[in-house]
Amino acid sequence: MKNKYLKKAAVLAMTGIIAAGSLAACGSDKKDESANAENAKELSMAWWGNQVRNERTQQVLDKYKEETGVTVKGQFFQWDDYWSKMATSAAGKKMPDIIQMDMSYIKQYADKGQLLDLTPYIEDGTLETSEITEDVLNMGKVEDGIYGIASGTSSSCMFYNKTLLDELGITIEDNMSLDDFVAISKEVYEKSGYRANLYHYGLYMDMYARANDIQATDKLGGDSAEDYVPYFQTLEDGIKEGWHISPSQAADTASVEEDPMVYGSSPENMTWCTINGSAQLTAYQAAAPEGTDIDLTTIPTTDPAKSNYVKPSMYFSVSADTKNPEEAVKLLNYLSNSTDAYDILLAERGIPASGKVTEAIMPKLSQEEQENAEFINDVITPNSSPMPPFPVEGSSQAQDLLRKLEEKVKYGEYTAQEAAGEYFTEANKMLAGE
Amino acid sequence: MKQKNSSFYKFINKEKNVGIIFCLPFIIGFLVFLIVPMGISLYYSFCDYDILSPAEFVGLKNYIYMFTQDETFWRSMKATIYFALVSVPLRLIFALLVAMILVRSSKAAGFYRAAYYLPSIIGGSVAVAILWKRMFAPDGVVNSLLGMIGIDTKFAWLSDTKTAIWTLIILAIWQFGSSMLIFLSALKQIPKELYEAADVDGANKITKFFKVTLPLLTPTIFFNLVMQMINGFLAFTQSLIITQGKPMDTTLFYAVYMYQQSFNFNQSGYASAMAWVMLLIIAAITFLLFKTKKFWVYEQG
Amino acid sequence: MKTKRRAGAVIYHILVCGFGLVMLYPLFWMFMSSFKETNTIFTTAGSLIPKSFTFENYANGWRGFAGVSFGQFFKNSLFVAVLGTVGTLASSACVAFGFARCEFKGKKILFGAMLASMMLPGQILMVPQYLWYEKLGWVGSFAPLIVPFCFAIQGFFVYLMMNFIEGIPKELDEAAKIDGCSYYGIFGRIILPLMSPALITGGIFSFMWRWDDFMSALLYINDADKYPVSLALKLFCDPGSSSDYGAMFAMATLSVIPIVLIFIFFQKYLVDGIATSGLKG
Repeated sequence: MKNKYLKKAAVLAMTGIIAAGSLAACGSDKKDESANAENAKELSMAWWGNQVRNERTQQVLDKYKEETGVTVKGQFFQWDDYWSKMATSAAGKKMPDIIQMDMSYIKQYADKGQLLDLTPYIEDGTLETSEITEDVLNMGKVEDGIYGIASGTSSSCMFYNKTLLDELGITIEDNMSLDDFVAISKEVYEKSGYRANLYHYGLYMDMYARANDIQATDKLGGDSAEDYVPYFQTLEDGIKEGWHISPSQAADTASVEEDPMVYGSSPENMTWCTINGSAQLTAYQAAAPEGTDIDLTTIPTTDPAKSNYVKPSMYFSVSADTKNPEEAVKLLNYLSNSTDAYDILLAERGIPASGKVTEAIMPKLSQEEQENAEFINDVITPNSSPMPPFPVEGSSQAQDLLRKLEEKVKYGEYTAQEAAGEYFTEANKMLAGE
Repeated sequence: MKQKNSSFYKFINKEKNVGIIFCLPFIIGFLVFLIVPMGISLYYSFCDYDILSPAEFVGLKNYIYMFTQDETFWRSMKATIYFALVSVPLRLIFALLVAMILVRSSKAAGFYRAAYYLPSIIGGSVAVAILWKRMFAPDGVVNSLLGMIGIDTKFAWLSDTKTAIWTLIILAIWQFGSSMLIFLSALKQIPKELYEAADVDGANKITKFFKVTLPLLTPTIFFNLVMQMINGFLAFTQSLIITQGKPMDTTLFYAVYMYQQSFNFNQSGYASAMAWVMLLIIAAITFLLFKTKKFWVYEQG
Repeated sequence: MKTKRRAGAVIYHILVCGFGLVMLYPLFWMFMSSFKETNTIFTTAGSLIPKSFTFENYANGWRGFAGVSFGQFFKNSLFVAVLGTVGTLASSACVAFGFARCEFKGKKILFGAMLASMMLPGQILMVPQYLWYEKLGWVGSFAPLIVPFCFAIQGFFVYLMMNFIEGIPKELDEAAKIDGCSYYGIFGRIILPLMSPALITGGIFSFMWRWDDFMSALLYINDADKYPVSLALKLFCDPGSSSDYGAMFAMATLSVIPIVLIFIFFQKYLVDGIATSGLKG
């Protein structure tokens, strides 16, 4: 008799599992539909960033709900994860309505039809752009459409340990030439043992190429590998002469807190400078040991006016998957123009695109943010050239190759000549999409 | 007894049907959740696919490029094989050793087990990544320990092309907990009668280990070997969060390179091809392992 | 004899403890770091004990993100991990029994399919799986994190339990069969109780893996109030701006606790050699 129940129990358990599975399926299906029905009043927005950004943005979204009754659900991820998530959602045509965009991705996403062209909404006035300068507006221009509104401006820069240089009696002038930089690096190294860090994650190539009119487009600029030899030569010399840091002294890392400029136990494994985005000043200053003042200046180059440029720190774009473009653009408008919104956001996403807004929030900014704003407005802007073209599809691979080649030069595996040769042939192949 | 004669009960009690009924969850799971995504990825491996736009069929192009032109592919393969071949046996030996030591039942043993299992719990989190980088930094704990025994060094373990992968291997060994736990439960399963019988025969501890414990443990060793081997070849997180392949691709694991191709370089089709090549490699090795099974794995009965 | 044995025990404990400390050092470091002021974590990485203990990291971390506290993340993780584990254990035990004790057509193929499904790098299935779950309407819900696991899709657990069942003497089945037990009866009354060590081991693993599972959470969970701990932990560190490592270590420390508790609670049941008691009867 007992067997009967056991059999039944076993069969029941099986069907239970299956039923549970299909139930869960139905459950979520229904939820999805109801969400669709209410879509008119609900948007989603995604961004990457840290705790400060998450909090401030959510506050703005809450405020937006108070004012308009539209609920905006925030999704936030860490940078790398964010892009995996966006790519996957794009494949499923399920991207959030508003997405934070980056310069290195906007062209790709726009070209592949994943972003909404904002031009019609600018024309009909849904998206107010009168306060945004032509230059800044054009930062979101891909081919003939506007696919993103810069949330703020930024620039690459060189950070340096001002306290250390003051002690050594060295002053840094903005728009420093490469020769000056090398001379200073040698001096600092001899006097204190601190090294320089210019070849950091392949970021310096941008400056070098612009100064020499060999900026990459859909292929590398220049006629031959020779054009790139000086780039690697400075690094090779720096390593040989000791004034440039190499991985055996300190790891080349993307994280601010682990950057050898602010982290290390002795001058031997530390640097006096590094390069990164100017908005990182806050982060570097926070990570620096107490009593160390971090300052920023232009990245050394043979021709600062050609090399320097103002860039969008990031964009807000509207996804092509949105079921509610009108509402999404309205939110975008709010995020770009509302002084109320920027009262909360401040300069966390770069110096705001709207001149009026920047003026209004300026007094509320932290000291570092003000320094950054002054740097972009007073140092970079007057002495700069237009933004480079957007990176093409093979760029990230070429960038990775560059980082590896710099690494090989740092380890002494490659001479400058060899690195330049491989860079020219291989990067060109990657940019051509092979 | 009536129900026993009903055709339904007869049907579900036939051995061949019973097997299928018990395996039903997996059959459904496989058909619903695995075969479709696997099939799609196999299709992508013959395509140009960048995730953002529809896949375009290109035949064997990805496979040909992989074997003829992509040097990074070979470097990542080398790093992965090295990692798997070194870390898997070491991890298993270590796990077995610790399991043997901690098998006795006492209050202290329970505590020790938890202690030895703890490192495995924190897995591949960001915390571990930072931890490991700090430990092997020139001014990290490892060098301080070496300093204590008289070797004064500022060696950067993570930056040297020979030692960097060893930091990942050590991490893998450090997290031996899961294999240990499996060995523990297998050791518990060995009937005490067998040891008693061996005692009667006057066997000492070493003989008992080789005559009783080890043979009865071989199925578990085999299981751990197969699983860890698969895990070793598919190792991903450690390399991604700690070294990102540096220096000079010596720690670039296959799965990490594949992930880069898919999500950083927009070559998801190529990455799919890489995945299927890896599947074939692992399948071949697993097949060989299963072929050796009859020579050393103790079968019951 | 007695002193010799005691000396042996002392040496045993010293060795196990000593080595245990080496094993645990990195975890102490993490634990201690969670009490350091966040901007001193890297600069004082060499010293274990913080200069001044601060609980600020715990407060900051627990506050969570954008109005969702870490408590919510814990709740979500717990929900996913518990259901996923129950589903995994129930389904895997059934399938393992089928594989270990029944002969049927296609068994080898099925077993091969199970092994093969473990050999494909999971990262490559992200996009296809997403597309499929999107078709099922599951994106944005917990379903992709739970339901598939109720169908024994992780071959590891099936194989683990199968291995264990094969270690249980077949005589027990035969005896039960003679007593008139059906296969379902053998499974429910004999095998299931006997395989509790395998269930416990599998339960610990499954809970831990579901708890740590980050990728599927990243892909399928959209709303911040549904984030599990594994996803939330990564939000403290952003390479593009400043990171709060202190809060990250604090929350990472907390996130280990549930698994430790589960381990400590369940490992007690690993103690008894269960198979023997069966043999005697």
